[in-house]
Amino acid sequence: MIEALKEMFSFEHVKLDAVWQATYETLIMTSVATVFAFVIGVILGLILFLSSRKKGRTNGPVYGATSFVVNLFRAIPFIILIILLMPFTKVLMGTIMGVWGAMPALIIGSAPFYARLAEIALKEIDKGVIEAAESMGIRTLELIYKVLIPESLPALVSGITVTAIMLVGSTAIAGVIGAGGLGSLAYMVGFTRNQPDVTLVATIVILIIVFAIQIIGDSVAKAIDKR
Amino acid sequence: MIDILKVSKIFETKSQKIEAVKDVSLTIDKGEIFGIIGYSGAGKSTLIRLLNGLELPTSGEIIIGDDSIGALSKKELRKKRQKVSMIFQHFNLLWSRTVKENIMMPLEIAGLKKEEREKRADELIDLVGLRGREHNYPSELSGGQKQRVGIARALSNRPEVLLCDEATSALDPETTEEVLNLLLEIRETLGLTIVLITHEMEVIRKICDRAAVMEDGRVVEVAPVLKLFQNPEHGVTKRFVRDDIDDEDTELQIESIKKTFPNATILKLGFVGTGARAPIVSMLVKKFDLDINILSGNIKNTNEESYGHLYIAVNITEELLYAVIDELSKENVKVEVAQ
Repeated sequence: MIEALKEMFSFEHVKLDAVWQATYETLIMTSVATVFAFVIGVILGLILFLSSRKKGRTNGPVYGATSFVVNLFRAIPFIILIILLMPFTKVLMGTIMGVWGAMPALIIGSAPFYARLAEIALKEIDKGVIEAAESMGIRTLELIYKVLIPESLPALVSGITVTAIMLVGSTAIAGVIGAGGLGSLAYMVGFTRNQPDVTLVATIVILIIVFAIQIIGDSVAKAIDKR
Repeated sequence: MIDILKVSKIFETKSQKIEAVKDVSLTIDKGEIFGIIGYSGAGKSTLIRLLNGLELPTSGEIIIGDDSIGALSKKELRKKRQKVSMIFQHFNLLWSRTVKENIMMPLEIAGLKKEEREKRADELIDLVGLRGREHNYPSELSGGQKQRVGIARALSNRPEVLLCDEATSALDPETTEEVLNLLLEIRETLGLTIVLITHEMEVIRKICDRAAVMEDGRVVEVAPVLKLFQNPEHGVTKRFVRDDIDDEDTELQIESIKKTFPNATILKLGFVGTGARAPIVSMLVKKFDLDINILSGNIKNTNEESYGHLYIAVNITEELLYAVIDELSKENVKVEVAQ
């Protein structure tokens, strides 16, 4: 027991350049996937919100279909989603390995999750404000970028913070099956070569990334909230 | 200016049909301040939303200016809404925009250039008296100031009609007064037609020219405001009028006065306009040598006239009473003997 702890805190196997490389890969995977999750999630969230708002001939089926797809991809466990998407990833990215090989699964796994958070954020908008905008003769497109997005922005930011943190975890899972990054470092080097000090360092770096995302997200959400 | 012709609105939910507006016909003239009063659930909110097409009527027609609202295409209706604007009970400002940005929003929608938007917004900030506050966010303003922003925003595209949806119901009495005065002022200066809905008779009395009383989806009474107060016909109207002048207190007093002065006759003198200013009590004292006990009195001002009543107790013979009634009718004072 003591021996194991001693080895863990010895840091004798830790190679700084390998840690830097893994950190860089995790950051790339997280940030690119977060950007895509934000864009796709907001679009899906807007479709869900707008189609649930008023009764119309097309709105019911649109909401039903979008909602079904979102629920479907949210229900698949991430590790299975990666495997399931492999043929698709191979065609799209030309590889199933490395940072870019993980990207489709990361995006498809997180965008539907964020879509629900975006839908909740949009539902929180004061109905009266939307009615006021309509009483001015606003078009739907203008309603989206003049009212819906600005008025729900703090909640959208809080939601993307949660999603980004979830994505850090997803990149680590993807790392185990060959995506690179800190998850890969912890598993391929730390576990398989029996170097627990490397696993510990990978964990610490991941924690720092998660805390940084939370702090940045909170302060941005606070700064843009004028309520 | 506005013609509402046999309009009904039915909301259908899965379990039931709700007839919010039933066969309403009204004509509102250009430059008029027209009030619609009713208790909650009377259908007035739905009725005002039919005027700018936020709701479409199930049957009937609404004509504003030259356009039939139901016959407009979506694009034409959006255009029309720039000329039929609206203010709200809870102001409905965008928290994410400053005062000036809120006021400029309808101008952005109308497609004005940036310099023109800025110029127009500056004019409106002065008009509603918010100079110095233009870069504040709504959360930094009081209720009255927020409604001023709402009014400026509604006026930005130079509308012909302003719809007010319970515009003062969330404000304290003093601020209500300010906002009502502002509405009167913009009617004078801009000559627009104002349609307002409210559940406060005070609002009707202070600024409206004419008013409609709604109950259960129907308009039960339409009349010039002064007539509504002097001669309310429908039960709902009577209730609103009585609530406004607190008649219940007076009636209670009369009961106790009768016990104190069993021999006295109690008269209710009702006066309007010029009669409200004539010194009738001293005239009665001098001319008929009467001893008068003043029990209670009340004078209210509408936007053009005063009206009121006075309860007095006098020891009087029947003969003399007729003489008094004759004399007072010359001064346009209506006399009722309270039993």
